[in-house]
Amino acid sequence: MQGLSPSARLRIEELSARYPRKRSALIPSLQIAQEEAGYISEEIMVEIARMMELSPNEVREVVSFYSLLHQKPVGRYVIQVCTNISCQLCDAEGILRHLRRRLGIGPGETTPDMKYTLLEVECLGSCGTSPVMQINDEYHENLTPEKIDCILDGLQ
Amino acid sequence: MPESVSLTIDGQEIRAPKGTMVLEAARTAGILIPHYCYHPGLPVVGSCRMCLVEIEKVPKLQPSCATPVAEGMVVRTTTPQALENRRSVLEFLLANHPLDCPVCDQAGECGLQDYYMEHGRYDARHDEDKTRRKKAVPLGPHIMLDQERCILCTRCVRFTRDITRTGELGVLSRGHRSVIDVFPGTTLDNPYSGNVADLCPVGALTDRDFRFQCRVWFLGSVPSICPGCSRGCNIEIHYNRRFDPRYHDRRVHRLKPRPNPEVNGFWICDEGRYAYRTIDAADRLKIPALRRGDGLREASWAEAIGEAAGALRGVLGGNGPGAAAVMVSPQMSNEELFLARRLFRDRLGIDRIAGRAPAAAGASGDDFLIRADKNPNTRGMDLLFPDAGDCRDLVESCAGGRIRYLHIFRHDLSRWYDPGRLAEALREVDCVVFEGSWDSPTARLADVVLPAAVYAEKEGTFVNFQGRVQRFYPAVPPPGAALTDLDILARLAAALEAGAAGSTAAGLFGEIAAHVPEFAPLTWQSLGPTGRWLANPGNDHAV
Ligand code: SF4
Ligand code: FES
Ligand code: FES
Repeated sequence: MQGLSPSARLRIEELSARYPRKRSALIPSLQIAQEEAGYISEEIMVEIARMMELSPNEVREVVSFYSLLHQKPVGRYVIQVCTNISCQLCDAEGILRHLRRRLGIGPGETTPDMKYTLLEVECLGSCGTSPVMQINDEYHENLTPEKIDCILDGLQ
Repeated sequence: MPESVSLTIDGQEIRAPKGTMVLEAARTAGILIPHYCYHPGLPVVGSCRMCLVEIEKVPKLQPSCATPVAEGMVVRTTTPQALENRRSVLEFLLANHPLDCPVCDQAGECGLQDYYMEHGRYDARHDEDKTRRKKAVPLGPHIMLDQERCILCTRCVRFTRDITRTGELGVLSRGHRSVIDVFPGTTLDNPYSGNVADLCPVGALTDRDFRFQCRVWFLGSVPSICPGCSRGCNIEIHYNRRFDPRYHDRRVHRLKPRPNPEVNGFWICDEGRYAYRTIDAADRLKIPALRRGDGLREASWAEAIGEAAGALRGVLGGNGPGAAAVMVSPQMSNEELFLARRLFRDRLGIDRIAGRAPAAAGASGDDFLIRADKNPNTRGMDLLFPDAGDCRDLVESCAGGRIRYLHIFRHDLSRWYDPGRLAEALREVDCVVFEGSWDSPTARLADVVLPAAVYAEKEGTFVNFQGRVQRFYPAVPPPGAALTDLDILARLAAALEAGAAGSTAAGLFGEIAAHVPEFAPLTWQSLGPTGRWLANPGNDHAV
């Protein structure tokens, strides 16, 4: 298992020096770590906890709270499907069912070729255009199964 | 004295110090507002919403655990709105709570059960399956976790973060997926870990030691003092009220902390908590015994007391009081020490008295509750026997052949004296009397063994290291033929015709107050449930 690279450590140290309490830099530090490895391993959590003067579980609380932070390796495309109330009313279940069938994986799983990870998430804040999913940093709105096929076909 | 304000709660006029939360102010007036996340020993988070109450002129219900009292405030805790809130909170909490009460140790003392019976009582409206999570996960040596039962009040998390500062526990994930857990590969193992089972309002964290041992409604409870170190943490002894030796192998099932802000706050250490096992341990002394040849033979009390008294009388008459010696112990109560002082020192004129012994190997303390001195009453012994000598020196005197009668209270000398040399030293003494509760190499070297009650089987007082005089009460009777030290000393005094009057703990405490200036302002009654300070406790008060 790899720890943080020296340059990531340096960036995190610089960040946390900007705050009266080091822990204030926790979320950006986790983003730096994830940029590097694609996810945040337990080893990295322990390392960051030490740097921020936190217990490892406090770091894990934050990592597990945010759906944008991953505890396991993820695919090149992380697909987050909203199944919260507004999307639910617009058949988010059907959207999810379609994705399951098309990708052959369930929420929380990654395809063997490491291309896709499927996640079920809470409200993405775009209820007006539900149902909604997010692929990496981009929103895809007013989804239908056809539209999804079209989007996925366009991904390398 | 902090400034105080007056307010009205449910029609009662209440005065409370400024800064008090409404929930606490209500409690002092006997109004118990249901709550989960709030605990008086932990930082307030106001997250469970169970404690909401109506406050006049405030449009929405307010969390009573996080709302400070204010002058003229009018609080109502049982309005239809407040009651409806409790029902709703319970409905949400129970939506995913398993109904495994029949196999849950918490049943009978569970915050969900109790409040449901008081405030819930709704018909279930959920058809959905309950969420499934990890059950029966050992978190460490003492604690078992059931994630399904957890209501996420975070008391346990705050305990490990703010009280022990060990930070083992956390709330992971969010929403209905949230669970309590330790970090992978770590355990909940700190010297105070048992407290989280007491803190947990439901059966999510239970004590592995108590698991499936006894339903809580069969337990009786008696206030006591932990004898494990000189802190003297206030505890409750929980014993099986329906103990039957045919079916049960122990009478005392667990110890729980009893709040005392001056001494232990709300907590006790694990070492003290699990030391209850010594009460019903297999090596308890239960029957008096006398040396016959190489071995000890069981005897009646009359024979045992007769032999000890005869030997002592012979030595006092033949060699004088200088040839008799007594080892008192900081494990003895003040009353026992006082009675021993009156009998041996005042009536019989024995002044070879030792008390202090070397600490057991590895005895250590910390900067929270645990003290390195593993005796509950060193301070009391020092007050009642200010001139008591060192036990090691007394063993040396025995080895030197200067002692003909030795009365040992409780000490196991082999813990700090080479066992081989100890046997030789005690062989020099004509009559060694051992008065104590557990078998030990020392007991086996004695000529007379007098089985004595432990703290859970008698009443008395200890003085803790801070100078707080605290009272303990009997929970169960002494086992077998064992007697309390007060009874044993009274019998010995009677056999020696040295006067036996005033051998109740209450009476003796009165005499201590009359004879020992530090105890002068105290009375047996005034000690109350949480004790009182000595006249000059010193400046060691801080918890
Ligand atoms: S385990 Fe118990 S104390 Fe801890 S959060 Fe859950 S209900 Fe509260
Ligand atoms: S509920 Fe799906 S975006 Fe708000
Ligand atoms: S006890 Fe007040 S919000 Fe939990």
